Amino acid sequence: MFLARKLVLAHFWVAFIAFGAAIVLGEWQMFVRSPLSAWVGDPEHYFRSVTAHGTVMGYVLPTLVAMGFGYAISELALKQPLIGLRWAWAGFWLVVVGTVVAATPVALGLASVLYTFYPPMIGSPFYYLGIVLVVVGSWIWVALMAINLRAWKKKNPGKTIPLAMFGNVAGAYLWAWTSVGAAVEILLLILPAALGLTDTINAGLARVFFSWTLHAIVYFWLMPAYIAFYTIVPRAIGGRLYSDTMGRVAFVLFLVFSMPIGIHHLFADPQVGAGFKFLHAVFTAMVAVPTFLTVFTIVASVEIAARLRGGKGIFGWVKALPWDNPMMLAVTFSFIMLGFGGAGGLINMSFQLNETIHNTQWVTGHFHLIFAGAIVIMYFVVAYDLWPQLTGCKALPAGLVKTQLWLWFVGMMVMTMPWHWVGLLGQPRRMAYFDFSNPALSNQGWTLVAGTLGGLMLVLSALLFIYILARAGKSEAAPAPYSFSTPVHMPATTPVALNGFALWVSLMIALTVVNYGFPIAQLAALKDASVPVIPIGGR
Amino acid sequence: MQEARLFAWSNRWFRWSVLGLVALTAATMLVGFVWLPSKHGDFTAKSVWDSICRAAGVPNEWSTTTEWPKPGAGTTHVVLTNAMGRSGASDATGRGATIAIQQCSMCHGAQGMSDGGSPNLAGQYPEVIIKQLHDYKSGNRASAFMQTIANKLTERDIQDVAAYYDSLPKARAAPVRPDEPDAPALVRVGDPLRNIVPCVACHGGIDHKLGAPWLEGMPKEYLLKELKAFASGARRNDSFGQMRNMVRPLTAQELDSVAEFYARREPAHER
Repeated sequence: MFLARKLVLAHFWVAFIAFGAAIVLGEWQMFVRSPLSAWVGDPEHYFRSVTAHGTVMGYVLPTLVAMGFGYAISELALKQPLIGLRWAWAGFWLVVVGTVVAATPVALGLASVLYTFYPPMIGSPFYYLGIVLVVVGSWIWVALMAINLRAWKKKNPGKTIPLAMFGNVAGAYLWAWTSVGAAVEILLLILPAALGLTDTINAGLARVFFSWTLHAIVYFWLMPAYIAFYTIVPRAIGGRLYSDTMGRVAFVLFLVFSMPIGIHHLFADPQVGAGFKFLHAVFTAMVAVPTFLTVFTIVASVEIAARLRGGKGIFGWVKALPWDNPMMLAVTFSFIMLGFGGAGGLINMSFQLNETIHNTQWVTGHFHLIFAGAIVIMYFVVAYDLWPQLTGCKALPAGLVKTQLWLWFVGMMVMTMPWHWVGLLGQPRRMAYFDFSNPALSNQGWTLVAGTLGGLMLVLSALLFIYILARAGKSEAAPAPYSFSTPVHMPATTPVALNGFALWVSLMIALTVVNYGFPIAQLAALKDASVPVIPIGGR
Repeated sequence: MQEARLFAWSNRWFRWSVLGLVALTAATMLVGFVWLPSKHGDFTAKSVWDSICRAAGVPNEWSTTTEWPKPGAGTTHVVLTNAMGRSGASDATGRGATIAIQQCSMCHGAQGMSDGGSPNLAGQYPEVIIKQLHDYKSGNRASAFMQTIANKLTERDIQDVAAYYDSLPKARAAPVRPDEPDAPALVRVGDPLRNIVPCVACHGGIDHKLGAPWLEGMPKEYLLKELKAFASGARRNDSFGQMRNMVRPLTAQELDSVAEFYARREPAHER
């Protein structure tokens, strides 16, 4: 069993090594803008660093984790060898080569356009080609997940797809459709300009295409964490999953609602009509539904574990939870960060409230808290949980693991809370330096100092994470068979709608056409909508 | 078999999810395209259809103003494209040299280096020369001499002159570095709180933006005169008011220090 062991390990190691390098860049960015350091000599270095940090953290890390975890789930949950192992390796190498091809021009200062591209800024074509390779590599994963599920269904007619695989394939389909926006933007609009075939670009249309990807990509990042909530956490803390059906409903709701909402990133952009902005704001709010379903289900599952351990009373059971279990810590930290981040997110998605915080450090604080906080902390524990299966190692040192999780949580809170605050005061994001010597800003300098200290804790935590994985001692005994959570009550039959994706993928596409079709068609047909490109690092 | 049952009205999952989604979308659209615009003065709804179009981003008319600003009233017509910034062919350079010697060298120097107060043109980016000559031609940049000369130049003449000056060596070849200690703060880092971008972000040093001239080694009198013209609004041919917005908040002393700095020449032994 576990044919794909090396494959999964390769994905995880490349992801975590890239993560380790990119987090150091992030800390440097914090430090160099804080009053602890002189202003960065050349702001281009700052934006170069931001581009590298964002590209690795936004594209490389989550894509590789989702792919590696997905391959593992396919074998462990379906209990069948992975079909298409060679293709999977081809996909992996495409991601690795793409990362190198994209990172090289960034390092040379030829593509400091930030990972969100921002046309009409145009960087080296190799940067965009590298990203395309990463995305194409991940599409191979999408295809393999569909093929493996199909093979399993053929062998097991009428059976319920295991929840972990259900979430995994939902994430894969979500990513396949989501990545189309950025792919179209790069292939049809950016690359012709980057290759010098055209001197102008329809920047408004390009940004609408990017918004297609930009928000739903967040839910692609989030899927592995949600799969872990439903299918690993209850088992790891000795409980039962409260409801298997609720998990399925949450996954399909993400599939339908996470896609056609990205225009909330363009609230301040003039090229999209107010009506469509409102439409996207409302559908963004709908994403709160699967989030709340999940929080409710997982808290209920955790309560089951506590009561099984003798917990009593309305809240007394909290004390009975296995607080020395790293998974318990991780899910708690994750939910706290998800709570704060989610509350902040409701402000971002509100058409009017967004005006207060648009393009301020609030937004940077928000996505670090949600993604780097609530989601990445679950990536850590997924790796910890799978490590004995992958490497045949002994149990990981619980003390170090808990220290690592604590450092990550505290560091993330210390970094992102002042960011939110200073964003409310109006500090813009994407600035290479702030003039804290000016009396108008001098009382804001502490927020960057706090960010630097928080960031330092995050760097230490990341290094500790890599150390724990690298130094895991070999075990003589074979690892115990891997298992996913068992629901309290597994329904005898699962509704056909929740045992496949046809309905939800159809709704996802239909809703995208309704929410994006008109703005895209209108902007594409608009005459004289192109503006001259601004080459970066060209001269 | 199962799939067939899925997409059937009798399947309540199918029925309720489709109905729910359609109802939610329709209700949101009613609010976003009809009700909210009707409450919003900006949308000046003449009719329901009018406000729907406006909410969709395509108003029937973009403005009710009849008094449009006249194009060319002292701004610029020139749209900068990367093609304008590419070096010309050698025959273009040759033709440009002939025109330049006859018409430009009196003020701008035989090698494009001015000893008077006229700007150096040696090594200037081609798109800068092209844009300025067009702006003189259209009257968007004022100068009794330059307008007269530019008026006589054809499109091809302009391209050729630009190619010629691009081929000459610059007064000072290396741009200021952002970490150069002698450079004024305005040049290196700008002034964030006054929304002033550092000079080196566009004029070379960190990055060079299309249309931004090479300033190193320019005569101080010329730089100061143009900075003051931007500040007062007497010169308005900068695209999107880029220079006017940068320069307007600066004090006379700051203008002087920036002009003084860019006018520095390379020490003789390094040339």
